[in-house]
Amino acid sequence: MPVKWLLYWQPNAGITVNTQILTEISQCVESSINGVKDGRWKSTLIFYRPITRDQSSQNDYPKDLLGVSLPEQPDKYYFVLRSHRIVFEADSNIQSIMEKAQSYKARIALTFEGFQYQLGDFQLKVGKVALTAHAENLRGIAMEVEYLPLSSLDKSRQVLEDFVDILQEIVSSRSLPGHFTHIEPNFSEYSLTDHYSSQHTSLQYATVMTQLLTTLRN
Amino acid sequence: MECVVEGIIETQHVEALEILLHGLCGAPKELLKIHEFCLRSGPNLGVVSSELRILCDLEQPKPTWTVRQVGGAMRGAGAEQLSVLVRSMLESKISKNGLRFFYILGYKLDHELLKVGFAFRFQKVVPITVTVTSVHKMLKLHATDEAVPVTPGIQLVEVTAPASADNYSEVVAAISSFSEYLAPLLHLSKPGVSAGVVPTAAAAAASLMSDGRGKTL
Repeated sequence: MPVKWLLYWQPNAGITVNTQILTEISQCVESSINGVKDGRWKSTLIFYRPITRDQSSQNDYPKDLLGVSLPEQPDKYYFVLRSHRIVFEADSNIQSIMEKAQSYKARIALTFEGFQYQLGDFQLKVGKVALTAHAENLRGIAMEVEYLPLSSLDKSRQVLEDFVDILQEIVSSRSLPGHFTHIEPNFSEYSLTDHYSSQHTSLQYATVMTQLLTTLRN
Repeated sequence: MECVVEGIIETQHVEALEILLHGLCGAPKELLKIHEFCLRSGPNLGVVSSELRILCDLEQPKPTWTVRQVGGAMRGAGAEQLSVLVRSMLESKISKNGLRFFYILGYKLDHELLKVGFAFRFQKVVPITVTVTSVHKMLKLHATDEAVPVTPGIQLVEVTAPASADNYSEVVAAISSFSEYLAPLLHLSKPGVSAGVVPTAAAAAASLMSDGRGKTL
């Protein structure tokens, strides 16, 4: 599977992210670097919390269980527990199993959605992050940059770095109040190899989610 | 959802059962070696205590993992009268770190089993699967190499078919009529309502063994 980087928009201090910024970023991709729009995309993240019969038992169970569904793997579902450094993959009906088991409950759902662009060997996805229940309220901006010819993280790092640098320059020429940030999780801590997979993508979503929540709280 | 009946057979008659199943099925058997981990939710976790089964298929060149959630049986006077159990069942293929994942979520190992045997898959009105397994327990944690039979000389036969709320009565009928083919060798009933071995088994087995192997009935 081709390597991808997931970036998120880090607004300048005191600035809140808004749809105008997203529109300008989309324009950059479409007109400045001639990205060809070829469809929509949507990923969904759900935070789960343990259901306990006794309030004092809440701390006995992990509170950071995150479920991820990705458009490129519609039949799969991923769970990430950053506190325990684990990414778990299952068929998408694992969600029904979790519901039936009634041991963890969906607490909050977020949607990443927007447009997909082709640009030579690259595929870009640009979109907004919003609470699924309040889809009109933008809470963040995310961008996936995928380099189609390579599936090795190490081998693709330089080309992705260069491409993201160019993107940053183009975006900064519009004097937008912020910049894109990329945090590469320590994949090996999660027993994920150099060969890219959807488990890597899920972990990147979990990492970005944590950053976005921190930004929102501040 | 699935429909299920089960029964037991003495190991000495398993070969005859295999001949009968092969004759009915036409296709070769599949070998089974399943390590089953029965997990139970930890103290106070969940609305009520819940159970999950993690299955590791050791017969594959690279073991594959599945999580199975078996729900309650269908209730009501109608369900009581059925000779087949209809229950909710969900299964999902999972990555090999599934056991660790569910331990982290707070599930504990209740017990583990090793089921060794074979399966036949039938394409009747509905797809029916028959498994014949010897159930083993582990004397040491996860030590499948040192597993010993739970009931020496007796094997478990399970007949299952997927069903939905719309077609379960049709599936129940298909399983009931299928069970009749096996009746001379074993009695199939709802799980937990074991009827023991059947007295005609020895004679039926002898007859099957002399009739020739693999003959399509």
